[in-house]
Amino acid sequence: MRTYILQRFLQMIIVMVVVMLVSFIIVELPPGDFLTTLREQLTDQNVDPKVIDSTVEMYRARYGLGENWFIRFGKWAWSLMKGDMGYSMQHNRPASELMGERLSLTIWISIATLIFMFVVSVPIGMLSAIKQYSAWDHSFTFLALLGVSVPSFITALVFLLLSVTLLGATTVAGLFSPEYVTAEWSWAKFVDMLKHVWIILFIVGLGDTASTIRVMRARMLDTLGEPYIDTARMKGLSGAKIYFRHALRVAINPIISSIGLRFPQIISGSTIVAIVLTLPLIGPLLLEALLGEDVYLACSILVVLTLALVIGNFLADLALAWLDPRIRFEN
Amino acid sequence: MNSDPDSDKVLNIRDLQVSFRSIAGTTRAVNGVSLDVRSGEIVGLVGESGCGKSVTIRSIVGLVPSPPALFEAGEIWLRTRRGMTETLALHKNMKALRQIRGRDVSMIFQEPMRSVHPMMTIGKQITEGILEHEVVDPAEAYDRTVEMLDLVGLPNPAAQMNRYAHELSGGMRQRALIALALVCHPQLLLADEPTTALDVTIQAQILELIRDLRERMSMSVLLITHNMGVVANLADRISVMYLGKIMETGTVEEIFKEPAHPYTQGLLASMPSLFSQPKTHLQSLRGVVPELAMVPKGCVFADRCPYVMPKCDETPPVVELRVDHSVACWLYADGGETQGSEDAATAEPSLSSEDTSGDSQKAVGVIPVLGTEPGSDASQEQLADSYTAQLQIENVALHYPILRGLLRRQVGTVRAVDGVDLTIRRGETLGLVGESGCGKTSVGRLVARLVEPTAGRIRFGADGGLEEITHISQKEMKRVRRAMGMVFQDPLSSLNARMNIRNIVGEPLMLHQVAKGRAVDDRVGELLEMVGLRAAHQSRFPHAFSGGQRQRIAIARALATEPSFLVADEPVSALDVSVQAQILNLLLTLQQQLSLSMLFIAHDIAVVRHVSDRIAVMYLGKIVELGEAREICVRPVHPYTEALLASIPLPMPGLETLREMPKGDLPDPANPPTGCRFHTRCPYRQPICEQEEPPLRQIAGNADHFGACHFQDELHLEGVEEIEEIYAPAAAAEGK
Repeated sequence: MRTYILQRFLQMIIVMVVVMLVSFIIVELPPGDFLTTLREQLTDQNVDPKVIDSTVEMYRARYGLGENWFIRFGKWAWSLMKGDMGYSMQHNRPASELMGERLSLTIWISIATLIFMFVVSVPIGMLSAIKQYSAWDHSFTFLALLGVSVPSFITALVFLLLSVTLLGATTVAGLFSPEYVTAEWSWAKFVDMLKHVWIILFIVGLGDTASTIRVMRARMLDTLGEPYIDTARMKGLSGAKIYFRHALRVAINPIISSIGLRFPQIISGSTIVAIVLTLPLIGPLLLEALLGEDVYLACSILVVLTLALVIGNFLADLALAWLDPRIRFEN
Repeated sequence: MNSDPDSDKVLNIRDLQVSFRSIAGTTRAVNGVSLDVRSGEIVGLVGESGCGKSVTIRSIVGLVPSPPALFEAGEIWLRTRRGMTETLALHKNMKALRQIRGRDVSMIFQEPMRSVHPMMTIGKQITEGILEHEVVDPAEAYDRTVEMLDLVGLPNPAAQMNRYAHELSGGMRQRALIALALVCHPQLLLADEPTTALDVTIQAQILELIRDLRERMSMSVLLITHNMGVVANLADRISVMYLGKIMETGTVEEIFKEPAHPYTQGLLASMPSLFSQPKTHLQSLRGVVPELAMVPKGCVFADRCPYVMPKCDETPPVVELRVDHSVACWLYADGGETQGSEDAATAEPSLSSEDTSGDSQKAVGVIPVLGTEPGSDASQEQLADSYTAQLQIENVALHYPILRGLLRRQVGTVRAVDGVDLTIRRGETLGLVGESGCGKTSVGRLVARLVEPTAGRIRFGADGGLEEITHISQKEMKRVRRAMGMVFQDPLSSLNARMNIRNIVGEPLMLHQVAKGRAVDDRVGELLEMVGLRAAHQSRFPHAFSGGQRQRIAIARALATEPSFLVADEPVSALDVSVQAQILNLLLTLQQQLSLSMLFIAHDIAVVRHVSDRIAVMYLGKIVELGEAREICVRPVHPYTEALLASIPLPMPGLETLREMPKGDLPDPANPPTGCRFHTRCPYRQPICEQEEPPLRQIAGNADHFGACHFQDELHLEGVEEIEEIYAPAAAAEGK
């Protein structure tokens, strides 16, 4: 078990290093270096040449520009680890400042979406399998098909339309009511966010929830056909014990292992929704940075998202090993 | 017949009818089955797959999902702690049914590997059953579970409590499942093919355990199996089932000594036993079990019956031949009661003269065993010719590294094949036999160069002399493969489901540029007819064929390029008894016609003995005994061979083997025991066996018989004498 955790942990580190290297190469790719661009920008802004010199010098020292690539990478990586995400040329602000709140919101919303997906799809999928071909099963099969096939931005637009036309809402978009958008975090702001967030969870999570229902149903059907379920039945166990104690823990395995993969899907999926509903998430920022060739910002976002993904995968692996003795045994 | 649910009966099934409704229509899987199990009795329910055996016994405990099943008629009376209970009526009452399950009646299943929950400890799974039915505190449930695990013969039971399924071997899992089933002391144990998925030596152990527990726990057993040998040694009474009907019921002695129904006779004759005449045709039943929707009217067996007569269009009556022996057949219905058994006796030989397989195969005579009659010139010539080797492997090994840990360091080696020498002569069939995991399949794959040998030499003679093929390139190997055919175990997964038969069988022809275009069609047609299929079926896909037909297609493919050598890896183990006999007959015929040499790999020594000239017995990557087929079965010199022979359930009631069964499981091939690899399970072991590994050497006084036992010249081991005159009507008829 300890080897297993260690192994996964090392794999995680290796992935991170590779991703950072690739990001670094992308940052380095454009001709000229960042300092030239910075100097030009500052000159355009009519900043005092002395200040320009000192600023440029500060960045040169910090990122080791002018030295060989290995040291430059080291310095860049080190500053990333300290939370310095570099400088956004588009916004003329440090990247970390831009990402700050958006990043944490994104991560929280993603986690909430995952939980929403889990809580909704596992019981529905289970029941669909237990009552196969019942009215319940057929209706959720239909709904799941709908959920899988309708793109989330359409759902988002429909929601917008409905809430404006039917409910007369003026503030359906966004994560907060207008009065809270720029306010400091407070209990009231949090409550306000909760009022808005469920729609977002629903819209962002719908596709994944629908497909997870299908996976759960299929897995549960497979599991219920296994001989060990007959063994359990022959003990005289009740249905609930068979389904929850015996079948669920086996059937749920692939869903847990897919959590790590769902995470980036949710982030990219939420980007479109975030644009439609003008949500302060990281996705639109990344898109903007990519379009504007704002390399430091884009790479920093990528690195941070990768970190989140890798940690998510690691946690999923741990959960699997905890649940399934066969995985513990193999290592 | 006393139809009262009287006190002697633990189970009484009366006229059970179960149908399955689907889009295609309604088919009746169980059609009027009546069956009793009395106190303390073991009843065997025998028949081929698809005959409704499982549905019948699963109906007893409500394990047949309904819908799609419809219980149209019948009653199932089961003795429970509340008296006789009709369980069919309980299907709607889950609560009452649950109280019966595990407490009054229990069940063990066919696949022990998959019947233990993979993510729960053994202990938890068993105590769960106790806690469900009885008000006991967990500590007592724990103690009782340990006691039960001890009773079923699991070593170190307390330690087993915390183990998971994957940490136990198949045999141990079946023991654990038996413990689970019996922990609440039910009166009736339902066993659905409990040993089919296990190795023969393990099968023998489990059968012994069931017999032993029946006495100790004074319970009754209803056992389903397709293997007549299993019931012969275990059951008190037998019911033979075919297409949802009971064909014949009787005591085990009656069924085996005087099988009355043609189906029972056919089943018995289909089985290659250790008494049958080797290399002769088995009298297989013709055809295959039809789909339920195609069941003939009247007698359901009519279309495969050698004695079919016009009257068979009507449902045959159940005739009582004797007390406790009844048969559903028109042969015994007319006139007097006496006619029945005599008729059967006189009728038997005619069964053998019948064109049995229905595939236009002619009976093959007995082939003189090599070297037994060196008389005439012709046989001298044949002899010389026979001795030229077609395949020779020397000291061949196949090792797999075991990689572990972060850096995938090699922590051990699985020695799948560990220094094997074999020679296969031209025209000869060499049987390779052993338990699963002994490396026999690896030898087959090495010979065909499907895996790269770790060490050793492989030499093969396509048509001329031997040529070394150990490390030749795949391109050169392609040329050699033209002379080499291969048939695999699973006829379904070894045929590409997306290719039609013409392309499956014709692919080797095109690959080796033997034929092109139309010529391929013609040749494929010929090949299909040769294996007993219709040439017109070329355009069909594998799913349109039954298991036996698929194996025929696989054989046709293997023979497409007219090879002189065939590797057959467990070609019949996935097939039903009657189909198995047909495929064995086909292989024997083709081998004769095409003068093939063959490496025949199987786990069943009776099957191997039936088709082989010589047998090599393999254990943990090594050959432990090699010799002429009958010689090995009659006078084995290695204790492992003796054990294998002893483990085969003989289709002969009362002829229980008294020899000691091999103990325990096959050791881990990654960590084989030191010295003689069999010493951990050998009843004759001496101190030297743990230290020194015995080489394969000639037996004193027999140039053609080799053994790898330290004491092969001193030990007197028991083989299976050819006692066909004592019994086995089929073998006797054949021997005449």
